[in-house]
Order: sequence, then C-alpha cells, then structure tokens
Amino acid sequence: MGRLIEEIYVWRLPVRVYHWVNALCIVALMVTGLYIASPVLNPPLGEAVWQHNFVMWRYVHYCVAFIFIGNFLYRLYYALLSDDQYAKFGGFRPWSPKWWGAPFKEQVASYLFLRKDEPNYVGHNPVAALAHFIFIFCGSTFMILTGMAMYGENRPGGFTDAVFGWLLPLFGSSYNLHFAHHVVAWIFPFYVIVHLYAVFRHDVVDRTSVTSSIITGYKHKVEDEHAI
Amino acid sequence: MPAQQTFAEVFKSRGISRRDFLKFCSLTSVSLGLSPALLPKVIHAMENKPRTPVIWLHGLECTCCTESFIRSSHPVMADILFNMISLDYDDTLSAAAGHQLEDVRKKIMKEYNGKYILAVEGNVPTKDDGVYCMTGGDSFLNVLKETAAGAAAVVAWGACASFGCVQNADPNPTGAVPIDKIIKDKPIVKVPGCPPISEVMTGVITHVHTFGTLPELDRMGRPKAFYSTRIHDKCYRRAFYDAGMFVRGFDEESTRKGWCLYKMGCKGPTTYNSCSKIQWNEGTSFPIGSGHPCIGCSEPGFWDKGPFYTRLADVSFLGTDTTADQIGVVAVGAAAAGAAAHAAVTAVKKKQHDKESEK
Repeated sequence: MGRLIEEIYVWRLPVRVYHWVNALCIVALMVTGLYIASPVLNPPLGEAVWQHNFVMWRYVHYCVAFIFIGNFLYRLYYALLSDDQYAKFGGFRPWSPKWWGAPFKEQVASYLFLRKDEPNYVGHNPVAALAHFIFIFCGSTFMILTGMAMYGENRPGGFTDAVFGWLLPLFGSSYNLHFAHHVVAWIFPFYVIVHLYAVFRHDVVDRTSVTSSIITGYKHKVEDEHAI
Repeated sequence: MPAQQTFAEVFKSRGISRRDFLKFCSLTSVSLGLSPALLPKVIHAMENKPRTPVIWLHGLECTCCTESFIRSSHPVMADILFNMISLDYDDTLSAAAGHQLEDVRKKIMKEYNGKYILAVEGNVPTKDDGVYCMTGGDSFLNVLKETAAGAAAVVAWGACASFGCVQNADPNPTGAVPIDKIIKDKPIVKVPGCPPISEVMTGVITHVHTFGTLPELDRMGRPKAFYSTRIHDKCYRRAFYDAGMFVRGFDEESTRKGWCLYKMGCKGPTTYNSCSKIQWNEGTSFPIGSGHPCIGCSEPGFWDKGPFYTRLADVSFLGTDTTADQIGVVAVGAAAAGAAAHAAVTAVKKKQHDKESEK
C-alpha cells in the first residue's frame, strides 16, 4: 500500500453542512412526496376531525422544502461570496469549448474504461461538476419553482401565488405542474445511486478518501504503489 | 319586441312582479360575489341599461353548454335569462332557421357594430380550411372570424371554446383549436367546464351587463369570481382528505361513508371551478357529492390526463399503462444495474492491471 503523502482540506464546514442537510432533505422530500402522491397507509380510526394524518405528511413536506430551499440559497451565497476555491464552481465553464476539451474527455474515457489511468482532482472532476450542475442545480431549481407554484395554489392571490403563479399558465394547468414535479422528482433517487457509486468507486480506485472527505473535509493523496 | 328594451321592461312584459325582479338582482349580486352595497347598482343597471345584444355561435361542440345554461337555477329564471341578454342569434335555440336567421346575425353585426357580445360555444377545426365544421354554408372558422370582427368582447363558453376539450384531445384529427387561437384582438372571457355551471354562465353575462366591463380575470383568462379556487379547497370531503381517510374502491365501506375520493383519481386538487360551492341543478349536488371523483373538466387538456380513476396520468408517448412512477423506478433500477456492471468491469480491469504490474 502506498504511503499517505499529503492531506488537503477540500470541503470546508459550510460545504459539508450544506451537503448533509441537502441529503437529508432530499430523502425526506422524496419519501413524503411519494406518500402524498399515493397515501398507502391505512386510514385512522375515529372521526375525521380528530385526525391530521395526511395533512401532517403535507406539512412535513412543506417544512422540509423550505429548509431545502434555504440550504440551497445558502450554498449559492457561499459559492458567490466566499473565498473558498473548491466551493466557488470557478472551474465549471460549460459555455467555453475549452472546458469540454481534454480534461472532460479524459474523464469520460476513464469512466468508459478507454484509459488505464484515472485522472484525479482535488475538487470535482469535470464530469462530476456537470452532473452536479444538471441534477443538483437545475433539478433543485426546477423542483423549487414548481413546488412553490403549487404551494401558492393553497392561497390564491397570496404572496407565493403572486411570485410563482406564472408557472401555472406556463405549464398549461395545475395538473401538468403536479405531474412535472412528480416526474422530475425521480432524478434525485437516480442521482443518489450514481453519486454514491461514483464516490465509492473513486475511493477504491484512487484511494483519496473521498467518502470520508464529506465528513472530515480532508482528502488524501497516496504515494503511487511500486512493484515489490 | 323593441331592440333597446331594458331588463326591467322584459320582466314586466313577462308578468313578473317587481318583488321577483329584486330577488333576481340580489341573487345575481350574491353569485357574483358583490358586496350588498352594490345591489342598487345592479338594480339600476337592470332597470335602465338597454339589454346587451348577444350573438351566440355554435362550433364544433356537443351543446352541453346550452343545456346547462337553460337550466339556470330557477325555472322562471331560465325563461327570464333567455330574454334578458337579448339573445339575438343562437342557431340552436332560435325558432327561425336558414337565411332568415343568418340575416339576423348580419343585421346585428351591422347595427351594433363594436357593441355586441359574441358568445362562442365549441371550438374551431382548422385542418383542411375548417371543412370539419360547417355552419350556414360556410366554415365555422370563417363565420367566427367574421362575427368576432365587430364584437365588443368575446365569451368562450365551456372547455371547448376555452381550452379545446375532447375535440382537440390527442390525436386531434380535425386540428381543432380553442377560440383564443383564432381571435387575437378582442378581450376573451373563458368560462371553462364541460359544461360550465349555469349560474356561472349567467353570472358572467350579468357582470358584463351591469358594469359594462368584463369581470376580473385570472392568469388563464377565467373570471376570478368563479375560478379563483380549486374544487378541493371548498370540498365538503376535505376533512377526510386531511385526516387521510380515502376511498379505496367503489364497492367499499369507505365509499358509503363518503370519504375523500383522492385515491380514486379525483382531480379536485388541480381543478379550478365553483362546483363545490355553487353546485349543480339548483344546488342539488355535484360529482363529488354523488360519490364520483372530479375529472377536472374545466382544466386545459383534461382528456389527455387520463385515466380518470388514478392519481397519476399515463405518460402517453410511452404507450398506455406507463406511469411516471414506473419510469422512475425503471430509471433508478437501471442506475443501480449500471453501477453494478461498472463496478464489475472496474474490478476485472483492476485485477488485470495488478496482474500486469506483477509481471
């Protein structure tokens, strides 16, 4: 085994906190969201007015959604206004053809087993950055906008309705909005699987302790293994 | 009948007492959601304003809007309403027919140019120059364009004229479009529903007549007074929804107990209409009241959001019986399978690599 030669502080506390809050929120939102779409538990006993079973699921979904939104905005704020180079998305420049050049292609080739060596990055590799952008940034933005528009429907003419209500005619109807929110929600479990696999695999292949880095903040560089 | 009759005059000539007339006025202001202070204004308008001429066109439709309209709450009221809006042209209800009737339409268009209300029931097939709906020897497409040109405002009756309804459901063989795709330069009030509630229809007309303006519209062009909240928000079964007490089948105890129809595919939570407050047929009942889930008939494209008895629509482009959840589960399963396969290949490659480096 190679010797540990360097440790790098990559994920500062705000990033780690964001990550775990986000992860917990996504799990809670997915579970409550699926339950709201399909309430499978048995009905409670007694009179309806005594019970708040289903309304609690919705309530939890809304509460967690607001934590999720706050956390998301906090992460954007941190990215834009901190001096944390690994948190700033600075290297992510998909509008420039250069970004899609050698590093990106190398990383894709490596994932497709077309290269022997594994490119290594301290922060996110270009493919990971793109995946985060699509699933986490775009996906969350979509879910937040559609979710807030539906939340606004609970109080027509209210603040949320005034700010986000324009999504209703954009999607055509309230039903379409619910449908889109439901379908797009599935990208999150999909992404969680891909993300976990990629992390575990990189940890095994690169031995950079990427898994524990999101708890401790440190990634490690290991000396290349020499033939004995 | 003189052309410029007021409502009060019509009432009088029909032998309806002043008391009934005032009752009608207050009922109308209540259904419009107006404050009691505005009641004198309604009465004043009904007594003094000449009746608004209305041309009522029928396009590609089933006439259920007219059927609903003529059942407006009170039997006497139904009769009154026929006369009060000065319905000068309606090819379904008129005694006259043929050239005689078409001449009336042309006359109104000329005499009241820019002043009449155009009410449209049904939508417009546009494919093949609109031959799929012919009225009075011309395509409905042309008739509508011609009649809309001189209208003060347009009322789109029902789901057809407002959003398209069954005629433009997939695959829409006649190229049917709602009227706002044809009439671009006139204010349009959409009164969706299949059919709309009769009191909503008469309420919209009374508003236009009383205030001389269109009612306040929401983002989708519907009158706020009737379409600002979802059926779900005022549903009398809402308590069962909040409690999590759902009907699970039509032959169950829960159905007899009248629990929430959410799991039976009720579209009440996504449907903007007044069914749960005004109800139908003199306030007798409404679909959910009769134990049937709302099918969302006043929402755009509701025919394509089927099936009616499940919460989640089929994703039509993937064939029938495929729901969003099935797609999601397949995608997540594929991700897991892909990850496993990738892991296997990684392991094999690593072994090869280790072997090579050992050599």
